Amino acid sequence: MLSALTFLPLVGAIVIVALPGRSVQLLRMVALAVTVAVAAMGVSLFIGFDGTRAAAQNVLETAWFTLPFGASGAREVDVHFFLGVDGVSILLVALTSILMPLVVMSSIGHINHRVKEFLVWLLVMETGMLGVFLSLDVVLFYFFWEVSLVPLYFIVGIWGGDRRLYATIKFFLYTVAGSLVMLVAVIGAIYYLGTSSIPALVESASDLPAETQAWLFGAFALAFAIKVPILPFHTWLADAHTEAPTAGSVLLAAVLLKMGTYGLLRFGVEMFPEAALTYAPVFLALGAIGIVYGAFLAWAQTDLKRLIACSSVSHLGFCVLGLFAMTEAGLRGSVLQMINHGLSTGLLFLLVGMIYERTHTRRLDRFGGIATVMPVFSFFFVFTVLSSAGLPGLNGFVGEYMILAGTFTVSPFWTAISVSGVIFGAVYLLMATRRVLFGPLVHEENRKLLDLGGRELATLIPLVALCVWIGVAPNGFIQKTAGSLDRISHRVERAQEHMRIGRLSTAQQTVLRTEVER
Amino acid sequence: MITQDLVQVFDMLSEPAARMATAPMLALAVGVALYLLCEVIDLLRTARPIVFLGSIALSIFYELRILQADSAPGAVFDGTFIADGQTALWGILFLVGTLLVWAYSVGYYRENLPFKAEYDALILCTPVGMMLMVGANDLIVFFVGLELLSMPLYALAAFRRAKIESVEAGLKYFLLGSFSSALFLYGAALLYANGGTLALDALVAESNLATTGVALVAASLFFKVSVFPFHLWVPDVYQGSPTPITALMATGAKAGAFSFLIVRLTPLLPPAAAQTVAVIALVTMALGNLGALVQRDLKRMLAYSGIAHAGTLLLVVAAGVALGDTSGGEQAAWYYMGAYLFTATGAFGLISLLEADGARFTNLDALRGLAHSRPGIAAALSLFMLSLGGIPATGGFLGKWFVFAELVRADMIGVAVLGALFTVVALGYYLRVIAYLWMEPPPEGAALSNTQRPLTAGLATVFCCLGVLAMGLLPALFLDRMN
Repeated sequence: MLSALTFLPLVGAIVIVALPGRSVQLLRMVALAVTVAVAAMGVSLFIGFDGTRAAAQNVLETAWFTLPFGASGAREVDVHFFLGVDGVSILLVALTSILMPLVVMSSIGHINHRVKEFLVWLLVMETGMLGVFLSLDVVLFYFFWEVSLVPLYFIVGIWGGDRRLYATIKFFLYTVAGSLVMLVAVIGAIYYLGTSSIPALVESASDLPAETQAWLFGAFALAFAIKVPILPFHTWLADAHTEAPTAGSVLLAAVLLKMGTYGLLRFGVEMFPEAALTYAPVFLALGAIGIVYGAFLAWAQTDLKRLIACSSVSHLGFCVLGLFAMTEAGLRGSVLQMINHGLSTGLLFLLVGMIYERTHTRRLDRFGGIATVMPVFSFFFVFTVLSSAGLPGLNGFVGEYMILAGTFTVSPFWTAISVSGVIFGAVYLLMATRRVLFGPLVHEENRKLLDLGGRELATLIPLVALCVWIGVAPNGFIQKTAGSLDRISHRVERAQEHMRIGRLSTAQQTVLRTEVER
Repeated sequence: MITQDLVQVFDMLSEPAARMATAPMLALAVGVALYLLCEVIDLLRTARPIVFLGSIALSIFYELRILQADSAPGAVFDGTFIADGQTALWGILFLVGTLLVWAYSVGYYRENLPFKAEYDALILCTPVGMMLMVGANDLIVFFVGLELLSMPLYALAAFRRAKIESVEAGLKYFLLGSFSSALFLYGAALLYANGGTLALDALVAESNLATTGVALVAASLFFKVSVFPFHLWVPDVYQGSPTPITALMATGAKAGAFSFLIVRLTPLLPPAAAQTVAVIALVTMALGNLGALVQRDLKRMLAYSGIAHAGTLLLVVAAGVALGDTSGGEQAAWYYMGAYLFTATGAFGLISLLEADGARFTNLDALRGLAHSRPGIAAALSLFMLSLGGIPATGGFLGKWFVFAELVRADMIGVAVLGALFTVVALGYYLRVIAYLWMEPPPEGAALSNTQRPLTAGLATVFCCLGVLAMGLLPALFLDRMN
């Protein structure tokens, strides 16, 4: 099941390579059929997933190769082709698989040259993204992690805007710098612990000396912090998102950034809870500052797409905040917020793409009064903006509320700072809405704009429905993640206990230990 | 005296172990002689490719026999030469590299056809030298191997006599190469003065004399593998030489010297040298990568990238010295060099194909929009660039993995992280090549001549692509052979 889910897109890509490039309609139908099939599998996986269990489900494990360290037989680690889905990844897998057919549909509007290559890269990318979330072997994870960079490099570099080469190389180098440092940590973890399976690593990582845990955590966290991006590493994001074609922006925002937060949860909080607890104040601060700074950054933009890109910095600050609060509510909220951001920012990029296809501009001052000519578009735009700003009743509110509630017990100060970010978020989003949709229709050329067509509605409606669904009845989604996330928060509690004992004097430690043993 | 010596050699050869150990080299040597004979006798001229391919196939067969033998021959000829699974694996690598270079040479030369036979015979000589180098357990045997490799390369570098760049490359390579040979001999002499022997396992660097000797020998090897501060000849020579020969220098010659450096010389270095070697390696990586970043010429860029890769491999030596155990380093070096061989040979080979189209194709600008007119070549070249950059699913990634794994094992985390960051710089110029191929529009009115490409070059490219992917996705195929 999982290998079919992961590799069906790749098979689709190979089929498309074999087909003639001239029959664009056929190519698009094949890509759509493949992604719809994958989406169906993703949804059925989601429905069948038992949220109460902590361990990975639908596990698939076959031997791949043996990694030698030193002389033959000295120390060998069996690397497995090991896939599985648990509460941490199930929502992201479902989101990725559902988004892809919509992305393929949206690409009909703006990808008109080299369609074949585009669809091939899109499908290869789907394999890469699903592989990242489903891998339970750290070598396999790293494989998919880096391989998923290549398709996006091409997507931005070939079909992007005017500064596409600069943006795509910057994106690639930034990410790869982090991943190569992570590579050293991956090798280190495998070498020290003698296994490459992620569940086994999670179990045994706490046996390592504290300093080793600290540098491994640091190296993993650096790679993921660049990908999220957490504050000082955010400069690649605005360029890449803005220059990418709509399909690329949607995938970047909705899925690729989540690889960073997913990694922070999986390899930071879950694998090295003690190190994560030690450095949590840093991440809380960076998360909260990112929320406010991102909001100001977005406020200052004159380009609509860049504004949405910058808003991602702000929204992902919430995810980071929730992760490093390391409380039950914080973790659950953070995982849910990953999905929420994927849905609402994905929608925003789709909408910007649609208006760009009509006006060929993204400058805020070239719009105004669009609501009078494109009422349907305006409805969706306002809806999405409200979802993104966290209006109660829509998805964004649930996640942000849970994160803030979960963080408050840990750090009231950074929670307060973050709450102000919610307000600034509303400010720049509503300001953008006013400048695009309302006011007088000053630009004559905008008078002739056509409203959304059937294909565009079909692209938007599934996502809008999900936004409402999560907003009204979030429990069904939260429950799916509960088992695994509860186990993580138990691990965190145990680590806290362990650290508390570690701070006591040796005599007290012996007393405590004997008590525990009794 | 001479007859007596000859008799003694034949006596030794009659030992089964010695016969088994030298068979791969003898097969090639006989091949060279037969090939030249076929050239002279008109009737046999058509048999030349059969002789060439036959001797390589026979040599590979003998190497495989050593690899699969229950008891490898081990040290033969009074312990001056070693043949075991390790050397057999390296030998196969050299042979495959030679074969690929030959395949790309077919059809590359338009003007020098009369000397085709000499060219092929010289190419066929080089793996003999490399095999002697990796198997040498004695400084003189190594030196013979080194010269047997270098002499043909001097001639081959200058093979396009009509082109001034080629002659310049040959002369430069020759002068600096002789200089490095002299360094080697001087170092060997000092070592002999110190210990009274040239056998490697008896050399222990404990006196100042011996340390100087080892340093001189190492310097000579650094020249061959193009490591700082002996890397300056590389860009000019790589750029001027005929492109298939550049591939041979970049892969085969480098592999030969590196195999000796890691398998034989590293155990001799004292653990205190680890820091120095690591610093030299990092400086080499920095110079190579920064140098490549500013090149507009593809061959010069790949030359600098080759310097950077040599620096990466030198990290294995540093780790091996620090650990006092090279068993892991040998595997890492073989894997890295194997992946590099497929990748770099393929990349240089593709450049040679494009050169044969008539345009001055070694300039980066000439790659603009090549994906439109030559999608196959563009795809293969992109794959090679990703492998050079060490992106997963290619052999380059696992090679890099094993190098870093050795560093982690030697507890040199800081060095590993620095090395990793230099690799990011490297991706900067590899990605630029891909960007030129796929993301730039093709130049106006640049219709390429539709020259017939030799089948061998196409096969070689396919083989390189498969090799790169197999080393990246199915490492078990190769790792199992190493144990």
